[in-house]
Amino acid sequence: MAEPRTAPEQSAREEGLEFLEPRVHGEGFPMAQVFGYGGSLLLTFGSFFLVTRHLMPPVILLAVILTLAIGQAALQLGVFMHIRESRGPAWQLMPLGLAFFIALGMIGMSIWIMMFKAGVS
Amino acid sequence: MSLPLAQEETGLEPGLPLELADERESIKVTGFWMFLVTDVLIFASLFASYAVYRSRVAQAPGPAQVFHYGPVLLETLLLLTSSFTVGIAIWAMRTGRVRMLFFWLAATLVLGAGFVTSEIHDFTSMVGQGLTWHQSAFLSAFYVLVGTHGAHVTFGIFWAVTLLFQVARRGITPITARKLYTFSLYWHFLDIVWVFIFTFVYLGGKIG
Repeated sequence: MAEPRTAPEQSAREEGLEFLEPRVHGEGFPMAQVFGYGGSLLLTFGSFFLVTRHLMPPVILLAVILTLAIGQAALQLGVFMHIRESRGPAWQLMPLGLAFFIALGMIGMSIWIMMFKAGVS
Repeated sequence: MSLPLAQEETGLEPGLPLELADERESIKVTGFWMFLVTDVLIFASLFASYAVYRSRVAQAPGPAQVFHYGPVLLETLLLLTSSFTVGIAIWAMRTGRVRMLFFWLAATLVLGAGFVTSEIHDFTSMVGQGLTWHQSAFLSAFYVLVGTHGAHVTFGIFWAVTLLFQVARRGITPITARKLYTFSLYWHFLDIVWVFIFTFVYLGGKIG
């Protein structure tokens, strides 16, 4: 229990894992969260506006609003969820990245494989 | 800042928030991230089945006729705001303001309850029109995906109520701080899932 601990940043760097270096949010008033809230409202209702105005062809419109949604998810993860906060290296980043990769693969490949309708139904 | 003696006595790493400064609690925070990873996969599979079935409407009406955008916009506003208020609650917790923490956590609860109420109302009115999940593959996939999210939010509300009691009785300790922190992670995660439901299911239904 009493064994001395190395500083977290140091241990992450030593192993060549700079990208896992933790960053903890400060104690000052969280202006970032206020802007994050404003930004998330803007992104969400912006995409609703785009859809109701029919400014673009459907395929492009879907791509644009999905991009806005991904931006919004990144904003939530970074600003609100403090994704890089950790005691030591931020190990959660690796399984999370893997999970998003698998998620995209699962959804994308399901859509892809179901486009081959011949022989079914 | 360097007080090696004090550090040995409390076991708290200096310069870190309570829930991370305590070694055992910080391990539980990492564990909670692993739970969220599994939840990402659950929702991914439900999104995949919705993507595949959304055009399979059988004899029932399709997305464009089924969705009501008023309630959906209200739900989006409530959930986005509750994600913000729980963020402020965690900030209040970290600066040691118990009353403020209590207020913002309670506000989160009320907003979350508003979300669930609106969603239940929306679902029951749909079922009242005969749009049950027996009608088509599209409606099955829709109710399972959106309903799973709604069930998560409902569970989160009950969880937060227990946290309010714990904070009232014990104040901000490494254990209650860790519980509140993991709750905030859970809540923000549900907000992210809702953004994709809003975009892909509801707005996607309008695009056709």
